[in-house]
Amino acid sequence: MIEKYTRGWSFRSATPSFEPGQEISAFLTGVRGDDVVARVGDSTLVVDGATPDDVDRKARIKVTEFDDNDHDGRAELLELVGESAF
Amino acid sequence: MAVGPPDDDDTDIEREIEEEETARGKNDIEFYGGRAMSAFPIAFFIAWAIVQSGLLRIGDTTGLVAGMLIGLILGLLFVKGSWKTYANTIFEGMTQRVAATAIVAWLWAGMFADTIQAGGFVSGLVWAADTAQVGATLFPAITFILAGLLATGIGTGYGTTVAFTGLFFPAGVLLGANPVLLFGAILSGAVFGDNLAPVSDTTIVSAVTQDSDIGGVVASRFKYAIVAAVVAFAAYVVAGNVMEGIEITGDAAQILVEESEPAGLLHLVSMSVVIATAVAGRHIVEAISWGIITAVIFNVVFGLAPVSDMLLFQAPEDAPIAEQVEFLPFVEIVESGEEIVSGSIYSGAQGFFPLIVLTLLIVAGAQIMIRGGGFEALQNWLLDNVATSVRRAETTMVGGTALVNGMITINTAAEIAIAPYIARIGERFNINGYRRANILDANTSALGYIFPWSGGVLVGYAQITQLPGEFEWFTQDMVVNPADVFPFVFHGWLLVAVFLIAAITGFGREYVHDRESEEVARL
Repeated sequence: MIEKYTRGWSFRSATPSFEPGQEISAFLTGVRGDDVVARVGDSTLVVDGATPDDVDRKARIKVTEFDDNDHDGRAELLELVGESAF
Repeated sequence: MAVGPPDDDDTDIEREIEEEETARGKNDIEFYGGRAMSAFPIAFFIAWAIVQSGLLRIGDTTGLVAGMLIGLILGLLFVKGSWKTYANTIFEGMTQRVAATAIVAWLWAGMFADTIQAGGFVSGLVWAADTAQVGATLFPAITFILAGLLATGIGTGYGTTVAFTGLFFPAGVLLGANPVLLFGAILSGAVFGDNLAPVSDTTIVSAVTQDSDIGGVVASRFKYAIVAAVVAFAAYVVAGNVMEGIEITGDAAQILVEESEPAGLLHLVSMSVVIATAVAGRHIVEAISWGIITAVIFNVVFGLAPVSDMLLFQAPEDAPIAEQVEFLPFVEIVESGEEIVSGSIYSGAQGFFPLIVLTLLIVAGAQIMIRGGGFEALQNWLLDNVATSVRRAETTMVGGTALVNGMITINTAAEIAIAPYIARIGERFNINGYRRANILDANTSALGYIFPWSGGVLVGYAQITQLPGEFEWFTQDMVVNPADVFPFVFHGWLLVAVFLIAAITGFGREYVHDRESEEVARL
């Protein structure tokens, strides 16, 4: 329980990094050209396998590549797991 | 008795369900004047709320209900084609889980808050202040802590402000503390509790609208609240030494002693039970139920309050079983015409009824804005022009919440109105639900007690204006003008500042993948 109080006492980057193979939950946040993307802070992941209808839904995705300099990468859609709060 | 054949009833119900499902599936209510007109019910309500609560200074929640109802009726007039989809969308909005969850949590929180108040929690804090024997310079700082403690226990900043301006305020003034600083310290304590208490109406709204569990939200916002509170406490100590009070001859302790009861502090345990069980991940209904059970047992076992203070049936003499059950501690026979049910369980739940109705209607209005396309239009404008990076998104969330709360002085209503935007803008940057809830609630709580037209300030001011009638020595020039107090609500200002700094620097920022909220299961 104490851990819940002590988490987040830090400064988090606006451009988070990801490792290939990492599985995360994220909202699919928009469409860029023909691609659906998940924007996490100011980093962006193109999500293969997602369609524009999936935007604003929460998904489990697996990061396949990520460039730390451009804060840009790709991921594949594993499953849709939730909706937007509104 | 059934009036018509059962088949007809079934058909009607099935048709209603079908129509509602059609409304859910459809994404279009067309309005004369375009998508922007779908915002009419909500915009009308906001304008009504500003006029009623800000300009006319009427803090009546049921008055806002009337405003939202009229807004929904007038909005109907701008609908193109059939009005049926609009009407069904009202039902669709009202039946959303977010409204139901907030309502359930409020009812439980109301019962708990009134029950620990019936058990003399305030009297326990009064005893603590009296025993500590603090002088005039430290009195505002100690008042801030004790008001914060009460507000964290009962979850209502308004209730805390009323209790403290009636007791601690005159005692502090008599002791020689500066009246303006003292009022600011009380309001700061109210902000602290409104922001942090798991049983606070604003805490509950912030969690459920951002798909987060209440216990997790409370634990995650502690870091922001405590940073602001430590600085605010130091500021009250310094200001207490610098700002002079009024010289009055009288015994300050006498005011406190009359209301002092150390056993009331036992309810710190009731309060801890709720906080600990909620933060441990128990469902909020379970957490508050444990708190209510603890509070009721303490009240009865330690003689803090009789059963009749918590629940009382006052029945007329000619009621069929009145005389047979009169021996029960929660039954009393009264004259015909005076029959009523009362007590903290009753009043605590009842106190939330107007807010519950208002919430259902605001959520319905928001749903019409979503179905009419106005919500998306405003959201896209914000995302394209204002919230273009995560820092700017968070700054927009802080500023937007503060702005709406600055205009609508009944802060829970303001919070519900802005919550969908905080959710959607935050989700577009994958900002964690806890962080979104914390931004939403901190600025809602703070702004509700700062400006001269804020509900919390007016509640305290109303109480202070009655003091000249209660104490001979309390003269009219000791009444604090609401316009004078706003620079001294240190914790409120600091909480807003902490979140602005946090948005810019990334302090406390978490993304969706950093931490999974325990979400729906433990709301």
